[in-house]
Amino acid sequence: MKRASKIYTALVMVFLFAPIAILLLFSFNESKSLSVFAGFSLKWYQELFRDGDTLESVKNTLILACSASAIATVMGTAASVGINKLRNKYVRASYDTVTNIPMTNPDIITGISLMLMFVFIGTRLGRSSSLSFWTLLISHVTFCLPYVILQVLPKLRQMDPSLPEAAMDLGCTPMQAFFKAVLPEIMPGIVTGMIMAFTMSLDDFVISYFTQGSGFQTLPIRIYGMTKKTVTPKMYALSTIIFFVILTLLLISNLTDEDGGKGSRRKAADAERARRARRILVPAAATVIIGLMVVLIVTGSGRTLTLNVYNWGEYISDGSEGSLDTIAEFEKWYEETYGVPVKVNYDTFASNEDMFAKLSGGAVAYDVVIPSDYTIARMLENDMLLPLNYSNIPNFQYIGEDFRNLYYDPENQYTVPYTYGIVGVIYNANVVDEADVGGWDLMWNEKYAGSILTFNNSRDAFGTAMYKLGLDVNTTDRAVWDRAAQELLAQKPILYGQVMDEIYNTMAAGEAAVATYYAGDYFTMVDSQADHVDLQFYYPERTNYFVDAMCIPTCCQNQELAEIFINFMLSREVAIANAEYIYYACPNSLVVEDEEYIEDMGEEAMEILYPEMESFREAYNTYAYRNLDPDTLGYISSLWEEIKIN
Amino acid sequence: MTGRDSGRKAPALERLLLAPYTAWASLFILVPLAFIAYYAFTDNNFNFTLDNVLKFFTATSQVTNEAGQTQEVFTYLLIFWRSLKLAIISTIICLLIGYPMAYIMARASSRVQKTMVTLIMIPMWMNFLIRTYAWMTILQDTGIFNGLLDMIGLGPVHIIGTEAAVVIGMVYDYLPHMVIPIYSVMAKMDNRLLEAAQDLGCNNAQVLRRVVWPLSLPGVFSGINMVLIPSISTFYISQKLGNGKFFLIGDAIEGQYIANNLHFAAAIAFIMMIILLVGMAFMRKLAGRHVQGGV
Repeated sequence: MKRASKIYTALVMVFLFAPIAILLLFSFNESKSLSVFAGFSLKWYQELFRDGDTLESVKNTLILACSASAIATVMGTAASVGINKLRNKYVRASYDTVTNIPMTNPDIITGISLMLMFVFIGTRLGRSSSLSFWTLLISHVTFCLPYVILQVLPKLRQMDPSLPEAAMDLGCTPMQAFFKAVLPEIMPGIVTGMIMAFTMSLDDFVISYFTQGSGFQTLPIRIYGMTKKTVTPKMYALSTIIFFVILTLLLISNLTDEDGGKGSRRKAADAERARRARRILVPAAATVIIGLMVVLIVTGSGRTLTLNVYNWGEYISDGSEGSLDTIAEFEKWYEETYGVPVKVNYDTFASNEDMFAKLSGGAVAYDVVIPSDYTIARMLENDMLLPLNYSNIPNFQYIGEDFRNLYYDPENQYTVPYTYGIVGVIYNANVVDEADVGGWDLMWNEKYAGSILTFNNSRDAFGTAMYKLGLDVNTTDRAVWDRAAQELLAQKPILYGQVMDEIYNTMAAGEAAVATYYAGDYFTMVDSQADHVDLQFYYPERTNYFVDAMCIPTCCQNQELAEIFINFMLSREVAIANAEYIYYACPNSLVVEDEEYIEDMGEEAMEILYPEMESFREAYNTYAYRNLDPDTLGYISSLWEEIKIN
Repeated sequence: MTGRDSGRKAPALERLLLAPYTAWASLFILVPLAFIAYYAFTDNNFNFTLDNVLKFFTATSQVTNEAGQTQEVFTYLLIFWRSLKLAIISTIICLLIGYPMAYIMARASSRVQKTMVTLIMIPMWMNFLIRTYAWMTILQDTGIFNGLLDMIGLGPVHIIGTEAAVVIGMVYDYLPHMVIPIYSVMAKMDNRLLEAAQDLGCNNAQVLRRVVWPLSLPGVFSGINMVLIPSISTFYISQKLGNGKFFLIGDAIEGQYIANNLHFAAAIAFIMMIILLVGMAFMRKLAGRHVQGGV
């Protein structure tokens, strides 16, 4: 029996810790891949400590978890004492029911319900953004409360009710009776409840996803934002560090506990010491947390200017792998030039639609956003963008002729192009026959059944089918969309999957042989491909051309600052750093004409990113996605659901 | 006398203690639920409508089954059923793995107990998105798991992108939610009860079945709750480990939110909430009866 239990425990632990072992291993990977181990290196740890935004999101996550669990613990403990004293059976039952609601409601419902309320009230109050740090904190406290109450209440019920009465008989005030007699009794429950609340808050993704405002991004949201570009081993390095910090803390606490086990007199003395320590520790912890929050509020509302930027994940040169930290450069340059400190809050989104949903409801406010063309058109249609004052953006002169006055902004009043690109097909030349290569047919070739990857977003996925069939990707004719849906349904059985950022690891490891994605990202996959994989790339004849551009939404708080930021992004050094980091084509002539940039990128990259064509404008006008009317969008989304459930 | 006296004085203070929570719970638990209902039963202009709710029950799609036949199905009912099915499977597996684990923990010495509780909790302190990501590396066709199988001479198994992968992800993420509540109930169990049962001639299996199991039921029910609920609504696990081939109710809600159909998203959430609240209340009632019967 004993032995069996040990084996069983070991197996469960292997299961629980297997992914953590993987994290540990790949945090030391030399390449960017999370599935092919290329060699030992510490570089991701260096990267991590250079990545201010990620570190900040860790700090945010901790501040949030500490304050939410502290507030929930105090309020929940007080509430438990109150509930325990309730006489009326029905009142008591209704408290139990309400307390149980956040536990029996999936977190997606808790998140959505809070979001709806905040946004509804926020817009009625005329706030530019309904969501903020406070809404996030409120939401976390709300779902943390039941964990505290459900731990403390049973302890109160087990407690001898005459205990506080005895204390009062001996001359204690009710307050003293509580602190001297009741609190020590229920302390284990309070501590467990607080730890659970802290853990849940730390690990929460869904509720934060719906209730997070601008300028305060937590780690899970940051990771989710990496859905177009990839999650790097940097995140694994971070997890490894967290793991060892926790392990050390636990070891220390276990060692101090162990001393108590020797001799009962010492045990009693120790218990007394522990009790005293707790009496100091709890207020101390509370002070630290309140202090942190005060610091947060003060720094938030100080004289420092803030600029809130909303961009795709991994879509700016952020100082990693020896690149330029453009955000830090901007902050430094701005303070030197204007003598005023500025703080850039750089938040990330996972998709155009994600960004649009958050911004259009007035849930969040940003000063600069970087969406794609068809979403810019959609935002303009909904009056969500401000016209730019181009005299604050002199560097706009370096934007190539081909990238001005495009359909989404015909007079070029609202946008400054950031990157552009073309969608292509990636294949593993060791698996795919050269004869099958070319056009979109490869993506439907039954020979490679089970090895084909396509987009997990409706617009891009429909695009592949429509370009294949030579259909208009911007039609409002439902029959045409039906036809495309048929094509996607026919493809579904031979797909490996419908994915976004998973494509990097899947292709690099040779798991799948054919995929479609944005041109520049192909090189990221090549960089980390396994030995037996030989990734190649081509453009089908008809395919998507896209432009991502910087613009200023109407909720912007400081337009001039936003314009200065946009201008800074166009300056030579910064633009080159971004172009080399993102690896998409750049519309800035300062970049494409730069000898060093051309040399750094290499011949192959230049050929793929900047293919020879008669006119970009012409190709773009023919093949770019345009904004569609809400009816058509609704129809596409129902077709997409049908494809997904098949 | 003094007891009743203080009993009379106390409620004022205690009501005061309860007040912040009462206000908080009404504002941030109850009112938001009213908002879900409000959005579910209104259109974009906030006029009353039943369309959103009806759409959940009536929208249909064509689905081709494995035999290649096309069937007309109710879209959202099917999505809900699939989510529920995966969640129930995951919950059962969590219970099967977690119950013995909790039992072993509760039987161990107090120091071992403490260590094991922390070991079970540690993974939860690491971000769950990252842990899910790591499972992709393990489960891929060319991943660690297949590498190990290969070493002992077994053929590769295709797991990633299948129901099995999604279930593994859910079981992994929510196993601690099952073990901890069961363990905390079992740890409080009076050892003398078990000894008494043994003295009265029960063998180990009988002790388990007649004493431990009924006494542990509150923990089991709360474990089931804590696993079933999050696994019904997850959308990250199905996206990553299911290769995007699974579309669960969480995906549907998120998809509608992203597509800016807030009112329909609210309708799906509202209906799911009602089903789960009724289901859970029913289960709690059942649990209450069992627990009473057991003791």
